[in-house]
Amino acid sequence: MNLRWTHVVMWLAFVALMFAIPEFVSKGTLRTLIFANFLAIFAISWDVLSGRTGYISFGHPFLIGIGAYTSAILTKRFDVPIEFAIPAAVVMTMIGGIIVFLPALRIKGSYFALVTLAFMELMYQLVQVIRPDLTGGTRGMSGVQTLTRGAVNGYYLSVSLMLAVALSMWLLMRTQLGTALSAVGMNEESVRGSGLSTTKLKLFAFLTSAFVAGLGGAFYVHYLGSIAPRALFDINFLFTIIVAALIGGASTIIGPVIGAFFLTFLLEYLRPYLPGAERYFIYGLIALLLYMYEPKGLIALIDKGWQRLRGAADRKETV
Amino acid sequence: MTSSLKISNLVKKFGGLVATDNLSFVVKEGQSVGLIGPNGAGKTTVFAQIMGEHRQTSGSIELFGREISNDTTPERIRRGVSRTYQVPRPFSDMSVLENIRVGLMPNNLWQMIASKPRREKETELALSVGFLESDLEKTPGELSMGDLRKLEMARTIATGTKVMLLDEVFAGLTVAEIAQITQVIQKMRKDGMTFLIVSHDLKALEPLIDHVIAINHGSKIAEGGFNEVMNDADVRSSYLGVV
Repeated sequence: MNLRWTHVVMWLAFVALMFAIPEFVSKGTLRTLIFANFLAIFAISWDVLSGRTGYISFGHPFLIGIGAYTSAILTKRFDVPIEFAIPAAVVMTMIGGIIVFLPALRIKGSYFALVTLAFMELMYQLVQVIRPDLTGGTRGMSGVQTLTRGAVNGYYLSVSLMLAVALSMWLLMRTQLGTALSAVGMNEESVRGSGLSTTKLKLFAFLTSAFVAGLGGAFYVHYLGSIAPRALFDINFLFTIIVAALIGGASTIIGPVIGAFFLTFLLEYLRPYLPGAERYFIYGLIALLLYMYEPKGLIALIDKGWQRLRGAADRKETV
Repeated sequence: MTSSLKISNLVKKFGGLVATDNLSFVVKEGQSVGLIGPNGAGKTTVFAQIMGEHRQTSGSIELFGREISNDTTPERIRRGVSRTYQVPRPFSDMSVLENIRVGLMPNNLWQMIASKPRREKETELALSVGFLESDLEKTPGELSMGDLRKLEMARTIATGTKVMLLDEVFAGLTVAEIAQITQVIQKMRKDGMTFLIVSHDLKALEPLIDHVIAINHGSKIAEGGFNEVMNDADVRSSYLGVV
């Protein structure tokens, strides 16, 4: 693992900043930040799979939904303690991850993306008709046990989870395994031709992605205290996750976090001016422009800015 | 000299097309063998079958006396056979060293996480195929075709291969690049590497091989020393276009 002291300093600064935020912002802003934290977790989950291996998932809400529904059903319908329900939800989501993985053994590219989209749509239909006494049918479930009360506690819970996920995934992706997963995204045949089992690598990526999605989904439902199939298995929710990862910088782990915060606040600040779906037009336009001029996302822009600053400082020292 | 690679009665059919037709040959340890034939003769298909990218319809493939037909591609590579491709397939966003790193990685997820990249070994391999220190952080987009072929060779060597299959290794190269690749292959031959080389550049191929196998329509039409095969009537008519 290639770690430098600057990495440690930057992570410490990031953690300190995130934990200090509740001291400076309103409760309304904190609620926006909570959503940004969860969106960051979902975008990281998407990034581990699609950003790295190039298997574009259009069905991530399917995985998040398994985590959220499993934990909600177990706690509300079967009175399972939340500390057992969440791990069970994560395991169930990983099983869901294996189901999504199976088509990846045979197909890739746009065909794979469409199959995963079908998974999301199938899940949307199924939760409404199969055992509505458990899932709540079309209306979903409310009164699900919550883990915290109030915006501040909710924020600390979500930010702790987001930071834990981001740091562990960032460390994991800096190992040789991260390099191998990126290699799968660049040229799968060459990875196989280098003596590595791409099946094992892809299975790992799908399981890890599902683990994060399940964890995020389960905690999200216990933050909201309710779940509705229409909101969860929604194309806008799916694209918000994907755009967050792409706009921030795919295959970087930190990029999706930046993208999630940028997107959430952009949509929030546009709300007073454009209360309807027009907001999505603006964010789509920004995403398009950014993607055209800097396909590697906001993280690449930040990196370029940083390099320029360092260059300027070095020049000053030489003079 | 024991056999490194033994192909026996290999047949590959794609529907009604017979791409490999009852082909048999042996490559002995430390030998360098040329595989020639006109376009569409089935040379690359033979490579693909040896590597398990295509499963043969019938026949057997032995590596160091062991049948490998049921092994996956990564298993075959770990047993000591590896190939390069006609069109190089580098990892486009990775540096020269990172490309070689993928070849050096253990095929075990836990070891991938726990072990550190072997930077010295990566550098040694890159330099051994002719890269300069200044090339090591370059990405494939910044490399010439000759460098891309060297990179592919270095990644192949990194897998620990003992039998190397080179597919059109001189295609698209300048005279200087051909000379450089030739030098690398000659050095590897001295170190004991076994080669099976496909090339249309017969002039460049000649000094690198002990003997040559000519195939057409998937079956062997001649085998022997370079001059012997070049003077074979079937080879002259089907490949060299001389009657």
